[in-house]
Amino acid sequence: MKLQGEYVFDGLREEVWELVRDPEVLANVLPGTQSMNKVSDSEYEGKMHVRIGPVGGVFSGRVLVSNEVPPETYTLTVEGRGAPGFGRGAGDVQLLDQGDGTTLMKYEGELQVGGKLAGVGQRMIETVSKSMVRQGLESLNKALQARLAPQAEGVESEQAEYKPPSEAEFAKGVIKDMAAGIAASLPSVADIFSSEN
Amino acid sequence: MTEKYIGKRMTRTEDPRLLTGQALFVDDVQIHGMLHAAFLRSDYAHANIKSVDVSAARERPGVVAVYTAEDLGDFWQHSPALVPAPHSVEGVIFHSRTTVPLAKDKVRYVGEAIAVVYAESRYIAEDALEDIVVDYEPLEVAADLERALEPDAPLVHDDLDSNLASHLIQNKGDYAAAREHADLVIKRRIVIDRCAAGAMENRGVVAQWEEKSQYLTVWDTTQAPIPVRNGLAGMLGLSEHQVRVIAPFVGGGFGPKIMMFLPEELLVPWGAMQLKRPVKWIEDRQENFFATTQERGQIHDAEIALTKEGRILGVSHSFLHDTGAYNPYGLTIPLNTQSHAMSAYDVSNYHSDLKVVFTNKMIVTPVRGAGRPQGIFLMERLLDLAAKELGIDRVEIRKRNFIPPDAFPYNHEIIDQAFAPLMLDSGNYRPALEKAAKMIGYEQFIKEEQPRLRAEGKHVGIGIVSFIETTGVGPYEGARVNVGASGKISVATGVGTQGQGHFTSFAQIVADQLGVSPRDVHLVTGDTAQFHWGTGTFASRGSVVAANAINAAAKGVRARILKLASKVLEAPEEELELQDGYVRVADAPQRSISLGELAVLANPLRGAVEPGSKPGLEATDYFGPQYGATASGTHAMILEVDPETMMIDIKRYVTVEDCGTVLNPLIVDGQIHGGVALGIANSYYEQLVYDENGQLLNASLADYLIPTAFEIPRIEIGHEETLSPLNPLGSKGAGEAGTIPVPALFAQAVEDALYDYDLEVLEMPLSPNKLFELIRDQK
Repeated sequence: MKLQGEYVFDGLREEVWELVRDPEVLANVLPGTQSMNKVSDSEYEGKMHVRIGPVGGVFSGRVLVSNEVPPETYTLTVEGRGAPGFGRGAGDVQLLDQGDGTTLMKYEGELQVGGKLAGVGQRMIETVSKSMVRQGLESLNKALQARLAPQAEGVESEQAEYKPPSEAEFAKGVIKDMAAGIAASLPSVADIFSSEN
Repeated sequence: MTEKYIGKRMTRTEDPRLLTGQALFVDDVQIHGMLHAAFLRSDYAHANIKSVDVSAARERPGVVAVYTAEDLGDFWQHSPALVPAPHSVEGVIFHSRTTVPLAKDKVRYVGEAIAVVYAESRYIAEDALEDIVVDYEPLEVAADLERALEPDAPLVHDDLDSNLASHLIQNKGDYAAAREHADLVIKRRIVIDRCAAGAMENRGVVAQWEEKSQYLTVWDTTQAPIPVRNGLAGMLGLSEHQVRVIAPFVGGGFGPKIMMFLPEELLVPWGAMQLKRPVKWIEDRQENFFATTQERGQIHDAEIALTKEGRILGVSHSFLHDTGAYNPYGLTIPLNTQSHAMSAYDVSNYHSDLKVVFTNKMIVTPVRGAGRPQGIFLMERLLDLAAKELGIDRVEIRKRNFIPPDAFPYNHEIIDQAFAPLMLDSGNYRPALEKAAKMIGYEQFIKEEQPRLRAEGKHVGIGIVSFIETTGVGPYEGARVNVGASGKISVATGVGTQGQGHFTSFAQIVADQLGVSPRDVHLVTGDTAQFHWGTGTFASRGSVVAANAINAAAKGVRARILKLASKVLEAPEEELELQDGYVRVADAPQRSISLGELAVLANPLRGAVEPGSKPGLEATDYFGPQYGATASGTHAMILEVDPETMMIDIKRYVTVEDCGTVLNPLIVDGQIHGGVALGIANSYYEQLVYDENGQLLNASLADYLIPTAFEIPRIEIGHEETLSPLNPLGSKGAGEAGTIPVPALFAQAVEDALYDYDLEVLEMPLSPNKLFELIRDQK
């Protein structure tokens, strides 16, 4: 399965870079993450709870960062295993300075899953994975804002404090993405039919 | 006149027990102190196992034992090959690779067992699976059937040079020469994908080892209890009389339950002996997708050569058969395809080049149909294309090519699953075709109804195809028939029962021989303590091989009844008749004795038994046919396709079957209903989808669609009876006939319905999506 997309962060490239290379932040923003420990500068280990449709469970995994060119690009390799199966993937992340104080993230990668996760979760896995990425990036941007806000205002702000989404909130987000996906696909189906006749 | 039961439409005597929940299934077996087994299965299709750490699982409260391959000692060995190589074919290449109880260094398909947990409950056992840590080194995967043969493909078995499991070429006549004279040659690629058997009851095994009597009892959802008993005794170092295997009521076999010595069937009895506790394992629905064998993946490059009159000059095909990660079942399936591709037709020249391929996918063994649907699909599709090209009617082109009724026995000359050239014992194909055409109103539909419906904008099509099915293969079955003091008859036979109505149709045979009601005949099947010679229930052989063994044994009892009654009633044997449980002097019916009384006299407590005589009214006999009896038939259907949704609606479904003597029409109808349902499933619903990494993507009944009563139409059934000359009852099998022709039929009807799209259906299964894609690609 291919995962690719773009996301715009409201912050400078160096700030975004610092953020995405911080395991503590990552542990906070990735939904279901139970722990994330730094093994070395380029390797993290952690546990994450993942649920895809009827299949769920804790995955132990590792994240490897390679081909690092700060603050522009890096390659992310993820590998996780648990009772419901395994997932592994690799992708390239690129940060582009947009010159207006925002940073464009481009990502492109391949994800492979196996076991029950593939066999039973198949019909949901693409939506859930994409939703996880989308929600993770949104959380990351919120975390970025929370980090930047005190600097900007020079004071501690209650509102700016970052709160990661709960699992229930995350699940809600997945459903929202699924519904959006179905809605988006409808006109194209209609197109096909009208061209048939 | 005595009432005859063979051929009678009798309701099934076993149904009251089944319908009221009184029938014993393996999961009903509850034994005090019983442990529950669960298996850790590979998530990878291909990976080296670097280590398996079971220490945490062993610590879990309630877990009694956890074993890996390393813990099995001498018990760890490759299972015996169930079917050897067909050495009767010249130049055959065959690499046998059979399964092991638990994977040791490497896993070769998703679902291959790595460890087994025995615990106080299934819950604990499954929780303990999560405690086991396997360190895998993932390997490149050989999943795609064609790519698996490429030189750089990853090797499923490292000790082989390639993934080629077998290569075998068979010829009849000279296809290349025949092709030279052809007016028309049609060449196509045909692709058939995998399906599951989807039995209502999954697999299950319960084993109890009695230490004091040194006796092992195994309840097993097997189709072959006697071979399982023999194999287990050998592998466990026991003598055969120390092992009893019971196949009680089984909720559907369909082939995969013939497969012997998958890990569960070995490690449940072995665990029971090691731990001195009874052990149960019941496969769950999801596990079934990863633990039970599958069938049907083949790719054919096929060709037919004809005259302009539509006479077949020859057929040729090269094909790949996906055998999965191991090939314990030998070449049974592709040999069936090879031998059925000429079907009911008189084909003088035939060439078939078979390559069997190891892939990192579930092991392939027969599923109802067992290679025959692929062969029939190939021939019927090529004939349809030829008919279209030559402007000959579909029914007509078949008539022109049928083997004529006076040509039997007819030699197809192609070695089949019995390792001998396929000989068609008997057949008369044209009447079945004509009857089916008449029943569905073929002429009238094509000439009147279809044009009218098409004018209304409807996409309605008709299909009609013929087929053969080899049934009733050897080697043999046996039975023991006994008259009890109550006058009731006991019958024991080795074959197990998975819903075929054996209790009724076998009782009908005995009832006719002994002049009793079938309801007074009590049958025991599939219990090695009751009868321990035989092979099993498969290849549509019960109503041929077992039925004739029962008939022979009942005949033996009849002879003993007559001999003794002749003495008791002081009348010659030829003047006696058996009726209503009595032996009577035909002309003086008041001179009679009941079978029960006679049974007591035959087994006296005092007095002398005459030298050379045996006690009791009992006989054991066996039947082994010279070769298989070949059934045949025609199916026809009318269906409508909605070209917007690609949903189909089957309007009519007609079958005309020729299975020789029909023992019980109701039971044959039931077999056909079930068979057609699977055929429709194989055509439009059930497809196991694997990705390029050997991962099964639809391993649940939410995604793997088994049709329900809504999708299966009412089925109209007609019969022809061309008796087999190879057995006294004249019977042929009917177990797989319902399934075999359906994909070919479906393809023809869909093409006919979507006439304005000029579609060619050359793959199975279809689905609404795939039909949509086919039409899109056509444009």
